[in-house]
Amino acid sequence: MNVALAPRPSVVLRDADEAFVTLDGVTKVFGKGKVSMTALENVSLELGKGEFVCILGTSGCGKSTLLSLVAGLDKVTSGTIEIADGRPAVMFQEPALLPWLTVRRNVELPMRLHKVDTEERNKTVNRLLSMVGLIDFADHRPHQLSGGMRQRCALARALAQDSELLLMDEPFAALDALTRDQLHDDLNRIWQETGKTIIFVTHNVREAVRLGDRVVLMTPRPGRVARIWDVDIARPRELDSFEVSGLAHEITAQLRAGAAGNGAQ
Amino acid sequence: MERNKLQRVLRASWPRLVAICLLVGIWQLLVVVCVQSWGALGAGEPLPGPGDAIAEIGYLIHIGVLVPALVQTLERAAIGYALALAMGTVIGLAVVRIPVLRAGVGSLLAGLQSLPSVVWVPFAVLFLGDFAVYFVVIMGAFPSIAMGLMSSYDNVPPLTFSLARSMGARGPGYYRHFIFSATLPGYVAGMKQAWAFSWRSLMAAELIIGSTASTGLGQILDNGRTLGDLPEMFAALLAILIVGIAVNDLLFAPLERGLLRRRGLVPA
Repeated sequence: MNVALAPRPSVVLRDADEAFVTLDGVTKVFGKGKVSMTALENVSLELGKGEFVCILGTSGCGKSTLLSLVAGLDKVTSGTIEIADGRPAVMFQEPALLPWLTVRRNVELPMRLHKVDTEERNKTVNRLLSMVGLIDFADHRPHQLSGGMRQRCALARALAQDSELLLMDEPFAALDALTRDQLHDDLNRIWQETGKTIIFVTHNVREAVRLGDRVVLMTPRPGRVARIWDVDIARPRELDSFEVSGLAHEITAQLRAGAAGNGAQ
Repeated sequence: MERNKLQRVLRASWPRLVAICLLVGIWQLLVVVCVQSWGALGAGEPLPGPGDAIAEIGYLIHIGVLVPALVQTLERAAIGYALALAMGTVIGLAVVRIPVLRAGVGSLLAGLQSLPSVVWVPFAVLFLGDFAVYFVVIMGAFPSIAMGLMSSYDNVPPLTFSLARSMGARGPGYYRHFIFSATLPGYVAGMKQAWAFSWRSLMAAELIIGSTASTGLGQILDNGRTLGDLPEMFAALLAILIVGIAVNDLLFAPLERGLLRRRGLVPA
């Protein structure tokens, strides 16, 4: 535990004058006419700089669609998305490491693509690999790593993109509980060290409560924002602490009610 | 260390040695059977055995025919293959990157691949002169390269391309770090297959085009046929087989194996 890292007062960040990311009436429809499917309907959301927001929902609620819209991988049907600073870095559910590159090469790829000079690149890669605890595996290839290590590598690569905004699409969903818990700790630490703005998509309620400054609950078909919780629990948080469990219970209850309401329609 | 290496080579190659011995054995057996039956029928020249063919190879080397022919043929193969590689790569890339081309040219390529390249020989001989041999080799080999690239591109996980876009990869960097790297295994598999096709095409071309072009392995074979020299024919046949196998085993197979191992697609 790092005592020097005081809990971040998320309220202050959120009340900052300018929003870092603004979603305004975002709607996404796939297909046309009778076969069309509304994935997202009128989603509005504002993120302050340095804020950690978790988007929570059952599968099919459009949360991944929302993320790929913010990432610029897909286009909105209507509404606007504004990001104060350039292209966001993305971390997917699968590590999506390039199997022909070593860990070091994978991490430095974004910098190679943007022609960062060798010296700075090496310095940054070493710093990032130390940060995610992979410095001793720099010359390994992805297939030689465990699932957790692969996601650490993917995280380092996303950080190497030097974007202020980090988008994470259920990045730890495929990991075992123990590994996930470690990665939560690491992500929390790295977020505090780097001050990135993070949008973290998950279907895991506790994960959302453990990590987020705010938890945005979405309802499925079409995806809408159901409710937003402020998580004023001191960091670093424990997954099974009283506060985390308490809020997780409350959110889960709402999630169930929403699902039941949805099913009754 | 040396000893270990020797053991490893032996362990890796014994199935092949056994297969070769078996093949030679069958050949010898056939010869014995044929000699006996032909002898009884009083017909033609005896079928040469493996020993005769190898002795003939020695003789052809000795009189200075085989080595220059081999060099000549390999040179043709190398030039033709290089041209096919360039053409196949350009066409393959164009087809995967331009949707209209894909719809139009994709099936045409598959058709071209199944077309025996020998059918190009008459046309090539009439219109292309000295370039005829290369043309036939190119037509035989380039579809495999282009097809290899195409099918490999189709097998790249979509996530890889999403990743490239999210990183803002564009231009040469995108081609180098994503398209070429991601399609490399299929590309090399296509290269390997293209070698087999180009070698076949070259032999067919040399056989048919005959002595108008300077002497290659195919001409030795044709020469043997003209003179009714069975040992010469078998010597040429053996040499052609050995070159085909050697190029595959010494060049393409290690290339492909190394590639797959680095990517963790085969056990180390």
